[in-house]
Amino acid sequence: MLNIFKKTAIAGAMILSAGAALAEYPEKPIEVIVGYSAGGGTDVMARTAAPFIEKYLGDGASLVVKNMPGASGQIGVTEAANAEPDGYTLGTFNLPGMMARTIDREAGYDRDSFTYLANVVNDPNVIVTSKASGLDTLDKLLEEAKANPLAITVGMSSLGGDDHFALIKLEEATGTEFTIVPFKGSAPARTALLGGHVAMGILNISEVAEFQDQLNVLGVATKERSPFAPDLPTFKEQGLDLVNGSMRGFIAPAGLPEDVQAKLIDAFSQLSGDQEFLDAMAATANPVEVVTGEEFKQLTSDLYDLANGVWQTSPWN
Amino acid sequence: MPESRNSRLTRPETLTAIGIFVVAAGFLFPTYDLRAISALLPAAMLIGLLVLSVFLLLADQRKASAGEDAAPMTKAPKRVIGAFLMIVSYALACDFVGFYISTAVTIPLVAWTFGYRSPVGLLIATVIVVGTIWAIFDFGMSQDFPTGRLWGR
Amino acid sequence: MYSDLLHALPDVFAWTNFAAVVIGVIAGIVVGAMPGLSATMAISVLVPFTFGLEPLVALGLMAGIYNGAMYGGAIPAVLLRIPGTPAAVATTFDGYPMAQKGEGGFALQVAVVSSSIGGIASAFALMLLAPPLSKVTLLFGPSEVFWVAVFGLASIIFLLGGNPVKGLISACFGVFVSVIGSDPIYGNDRFTFGQLEMLDGINIVILLVGLYALPPVIDLLETPLKTDGVNSSKLGTQSLWKALPRMKSYWKTWLRGSLLGIWIGILPGAGGSMAAFMSYNEARRTSKHPETWGEGEPEGVAAAEVANNADTASALIPALTLGIPGTAVAAVMLGGLLVHGLQPGPMLFRDNPDVVFGFMWQFLFGAILLVLLGGSLATNSFARLLNLPRPLLGSVIIVLMLIGVYSIHGRMFDVYLMLGFGAIGWVMDRLKFPLPPVVLGLILGGFAEENLRLALRIGRGDPMVLFQNWTSLILVALTVAVVVGPTLKKRFIDSRKKA
Repeated sequence: MLNIFKKTAIAGAMILSAGAALAEYPEKPIEVIVGYSAGGGTDVMARTAAPFIEKYLGDGASLVVKNMPGASGQIGVTEAANAEPDGYTLGTFNLPGMMARTIDREAGYDRDSFTYLANVVNDPNVIVTSKASGLDTLDKLLEEAKANPLAITVGMSSLGGDDHFALIKLEEATGTEFTIVPFKGSAPARTALLGGHVAMGILNISEVAEFQDQLNVLGVATKERSPFAPDLPTFKEQGLDLVNGSMRGFIAPAGLPEDVQAKLIDAFSQLSGDQEFLDAMAATANPVEVVTGEEFKQLTSDLYDLANGVWQTSPWN
Repeated sequence: MPESRNSRLTRPETLTAIGIFVVAAGFLFPTYDLRAISALLPAAMLIGLLVLSVFLLLADQRKASAGEDAAPMTKAPKRVIGAFLMIVSYALACDFVGFYISTAVTIPLVAWTFGYRSPVGLLIATVIVVGTIWAIFDFGMSQDFPTGRLWGR
Repeated sequence: MYSDLLHALPDVFAWTNFAAVVIGVIAGIVVGAMPGLSATMAISVLVPFTFGLEPLVALGLMAGIYNGAMYGGAIPAVLLRIPGTPAAVATTFDGYPMAQKGEGGFALQVAVVSSSIGGIASAFALMLLAPPLSKVTLLFGPSEVFWVAVFGLASIIFLLGGNPVKGLISACFGVFVSVIGSDPIYGNDRFTFGQLEMLDGINIVILLVGLYALPPVIDLLETPLKTDGVNSSKLGTQSLWKALPRMKSYWKTWLRGSLLGIWIGILPGAGGSMAAFMSYNEARRTSKHPETWGEGEPEGVAAAEVANNADTASALIPALTLGIPGTAVAAVMLGGLLVHGLQPGPMLFRDNPDVVFGFMWQFLFGAILLVLLGGSLATNSFARLLNLPRPLLGSVIIVLMLIGVYSIHGRMFDVYLMLGFGAIGWVMDRLKFPLPPVVLGLILGGFAEENLRLALRIGRGDPMVLFQNWTSLILVALTVAVVVGPTLKKRFIDSRKKA
């Protein structure tokens, strides 16, 4: 009885929302589900981007951020994946975390559960060493790692995240082995580095930018120098092919009406040319790199394959 | 007056000790699936609980054989059970019917059931509490409370 | 740096910024005083709202709420034996017995004065010593933090109560609850039964509300016949000026509690509750008449309250300089800072001196305002709330509990979890299982485990990594002294008595 009632309600809502989608989108506030608490990096990205998306959608569009924190964003992204695909529920999306979670635990979504709108932030990995370690160049670090396998302790945030994949890429590219010390988040890992409790760390560029004087930053895992910290050299420049980072973007549930999808992607793609937006993001330590639609989907797919490959050879839990 | 065997086993502390033992033993099973180092602390605590609950049981039974009466958990079991049921149904009602309706019903209902029967007082209290919550959380902080799963989204 | 401090002062007195602190303190006291609502919840509800505010208005509100709530938590702790915030658990030890003796008014005055003193000391530490103290934080790597946690856990032995078996059951239960969630190293689930909501572990507020607030509510409904309110509503208040001279002798406790609170604050993760427990234990240990403690000794209230406010501002030292919050509330506040583009780190003080130092001043003024606002607010309004008919008071607290727990993450799951703990709490309460070991076990159990395992990884399995440097060794010595000291002292006294 209860179920029938619920189903009719949902069917009714679907008819209503389908009608709404046909009319000029958006007709009512758009909810953006953020899988983290207010004030986290992803939340700040969503709240910073929201007024700009509203501007580019036009017609008095309004975005409402809703925080559903928990389980490293999984609760929120699951909710977004299972929402009505009418364009009135969007969600934030983190890579590689959201894909890695479909591999290392049971998830209520997979990579086909989403309409990929835009990746907005790409926060590249950096390798840093503590001043106390004396390993102040990449060469010295690799030399030591080769001479004494597993002797170097690497502080990073949790296993199965971007830091971990960056380390695995480094180990594979250079034939080295390190001892992983997975802290709960980047800030404790960085503090352990500052205190010299671990020798090396893999963090993200936004997390070390303020600490450049207290740590040795050995390189940035980007193809070209990051505009976020242009004075830091890339690994490519130093002859090491290492590109990796943490990404944050926006998704909608799969099956979005095409006109709605086109309108949203168009709005998101205009972000990269908006200086005011770029300034606002820089002020909150979010290095911007906008990738939209199909390209974003491909990026997600690639990261899934990477994570899956790692999981097959060396599962982390 | 020596207690019968049956009432010895239904002493509150004895029952609690048995409860702790059963629950802790139940939680021990999932620790087998964990890595040794992951399982170490939880298993240590659970085994600790198992041992301690046996001590608790023995101490209480010793008291029982010494003829000490166990203090009852409550003098008014009906009221306690009623209070628990009401609190649980309030939570369920918030979840399924919605926060504001449930709260507006629960405050006077609980207060009336448990002995405060002034209609004017109940009305004033309900209006003040619900109104203040709405003004601060909904109006002031745009904080959403459950709207009720029954009504769909 | 100190010139920056002065430069930031005028902004703090802009009326909107100052009003924010005043409103924050009042709101904080109210939130802290409502059983079920906590500072963590209030600030997390506030953070999204602060996007549209000027930085110093937003930060002033948060500074005020934090200061206010740490004292506000003492009000229901004294009057109802329900700690309003996790940090007020130790306040119930002597505060509630005082209220039952008709000294509730004095207990609250001791609480407000002590809170204010702790807050002022902490604000000065933040203003004047933030950079050097953040260097102290850096000395504490995983192995050192592990010993801090062990030191804290050791104090459980003083909280076991009359029946050690029951006390230990409480402690084991607390530690066990602390390991629920994802494994700190590997991230695999432990005892979550597939519930995503439990992956991040059990939030202390959920446990606290369940264990501490539900049993008294059941009591209120169980014996509702006395419609004239609760016993402790007879406060026996006198004016603060008359009460102050009675507090003169607490200066040692205040000093010790402030230093302990500041120290615990700058260490990542432990927070106000641990500071309050430790300050209480230390004050009792050094007291000339320890036998009166737990029966309504005002100095016990002073010890707990001075310490739980002394870690407020100091918890922001590692938060501002290193991005690692010293308490759960500071963690939420860090989010509020990020919202305004204030990135933690050494550059923060250079890039945004007016905002950062202004924020510090706001902490100081928040702590000072506490005495002015807290004393009268508490005694005049909250005590009167207790005159409500018992069934009505009970039903209102039920609503507050639901709001407080629901608002932390915006989900009903937590409410059901809280009710589960409530049922356990009621049984524990009736069978006289002590509750403080549960709280301390939950706060420190998983924390100790996480740091031990990190330390062992750093040492690549070699346990000697735990004894590698002086900081660790001093902590080990302190722990041994605290555990063994009282026993030896007792033996010594006994042997002299015999002789």
